[in-house]
Amino acid sequence: MPRGADHLRSGVQDQPEHMGIMEADKDSILQVLKEHWSDEFMKDEQNKGLIDEITKENIQLKKVIQKLETELQEATREFQIKEDIPETKMKFISVEIPENDSQFQNISCSFQVSSKVRYELQKGQALITFEKEEVAQNVVRMSKHHVQIEDVNVEVTAQPVPLNSGVRFQVFVEISKMKINVTEIPATLPEDQMRDKLELSFSKSRNGGGEVDSMDYDRQSRSAVITFVETGVAEKILKNKEYPLYINETCHRVTVSPYTEMYLKKYQIFSGISKRTVLLTGMEDIQMDEEIVEDSINIHFQRAKNGGGEVDVVKCSLGQPHIAYFEE
Amino acid sequence: MLTVLLYDILQLVSQALHALLEEQARLKMRLQELQQQRKELGDSPKDKVLFSVPRIPLVFRGHTQQDREMPKSLVSNLRIHCPLPAGSALVTFDDPKVAEQVLQQKEHTIDMEECRLRVQVQPLELPMVTTIQVSSQMRSQRVLVSGFPASLSLSEEELLDKLEIFFGKTKNGGGDVEVRELLQGSVMLGFAKEGVAQRLCQIGQFRVPLGGQEVPLRVSPCMNGEIQKAEIRSQPLSRSVLVLNIPDVLDGPELHDVLEIHFQKPTRGGGEVEALTVIPQGQQGLAVFTSESG
Repeated sequence: MPRGADHLRSGVQDQPEHMGIMEADKDSILQVLKEHWSDEFMKDEQNKGLIDEITKENIQLKKVIQKLETELQEATREFQIKEDIPETKMKFISVEIPENDSQFQNISCSFQVSSKVRYELQKGQALITFEKEEVAQNVVRMSKHHVQIEDVNVEVTAQPVPLNSGVRFQVFVEISKMKINVTEIPATLPEDQMRDKLELSFSKSRNGGGEVDSMDYDRQSRSAVITFVETGVAEKILKNKEYPLYINETCHRVTVSPYTEMYLKKYQIFSGISKRTVLLTGMEDIQMDEEIVEDSINIHFQRAKNGGGEVDVVKCSLGQPHIAYFEE
Repeated sequence: MLTVLLYDILQLVSQALHALLEEQARLKMRLQELQQQRKELGDSPKDKVLFSVPRIPLVFRGHTQQDREMPKSLVSNLRIHCPLPAGSALVTFDDPKVAEQVLQQKEHTIDMEECRLRVQVQPLELPMVTTIQVSSQMRSQRVLVSGFPASLSLSEEELLDKLEIFFGKTKNGGGDVEVRELLQGSVMLGFAKEGVAQRLCQIGQFRVPLGGQEVPLRVSPCMNGEIQKAEIRSQPLSRSVLVLNIPDVLDGPELHDVLEIHFQKPTRGGGEVEALTVIPQGQQGLAVFTSESG
């Protein structure tokens, strides 16, 4: 309820006291009162209704605004990328003897991900890459070009290639050979006791365990990170997805998984700008072999008198669109 | 007096109403603003980023595809470092079928002139990331500087120094630089004080003296990436096997030859060995792997 309405309510309740003071000319007061009351009551009811209604409307508006705000924030400030990494066959290169012993405690994996920047070349469009930037800029500046393709004179328009933005980053993954993650630990015991039970169970060599170096148990998330003294223990335990945890003669199965650390480096969002490649449009009506058209375009733009220069590559689409990849 | 009181009440009601109506007008305006923003957002293609980002010159070299379902990104420089235990060997065969045959027997007995070596073989599994989900956020105290000409002949250190000097000056809109890092085609600068990065991004364009000339550079917000989710799967190496528990009876080079001879014998299920590395007892090694495609 807004503040104004609160005041209103307490004001009404104060009424009897004021009336007491006015004992003298009761009649006239009563008369006034009667008129005013009925009048005011009516207005009061009306206003209350109105206040309620507007309050409700405002709450609704606020909700919509909040929703929009988060939506916009997500769209502008944060954007998500999901990448499936194609399966690759691995090959052995060499064996290194590192100076740092800690490198023996992890299997580490690193790679670089970069978006492929592509342009969908539509029917009637061509891409031409010049050897020199200045030539490409000049062709764009001239805009209209008349290209002789077999016996047809075609007017093509040169323009910069609109390119999308992309992202690139390095991924580092470290999988511990000394530590494991334990999850789904039952919350049947107090924290201290459970920590001991975990250590006891994971030390049992007949179950594949080994001497525990440290134990990081979090009762709330029902999980723990266990570090072993010897290498190889973690690997042995992780051959199975579960491990027996003994609590007062009952055996629980807890879930074990590799302990992994991951981080990104050199994260960068970029937008592609095409300085040497130019987009040519206006060839929708040509019905010829793509290669013949490509050759004609090549010949035309090679000539300095046409504003061109040394051409690297030409690709055109006269039917199905082609996806053209842009590289650095 | 009573009348006065009633008027008071009346006034309070109208005040409350007035306040509410005012609030409503304000809210409606904000809503309109946001709807306009969303409309603009909806108009631009999904891949477009709304803030300015470093521009990287790209070129079309003739690579095309008609399939739209190609992976959206390129994975490169894949490296895996895997520790090998003491008393082990990593044997890589030419043919994956040979590796498969060798692994069919968990234990191998290697005959030597005076004794026999009993060793265990097992496949070597490497962790491979199959899916990764990353989100970006803007870093409030960092910027990206980009637009360096290809002809610039400065070392990494020289370039970073020049940039730190320029963007460290308040007269250029900068401030104390705390972090600097060379990225591909751009440089990240982190400032000690809040607000410096924002100010620089608003200006956006700078002419910075670099290597005897004034170079036009672009300053844009710095984004930070965070891994939201990643899936890792173990993948066995198809052509290599790990030999374990090699006793300490021979010197490294001799042991190498004995093992190579054994694993090359077709009668023992072996075949052409491409590479063999021995980690003798008392030592450790880190095997390095890369993708077969380079």
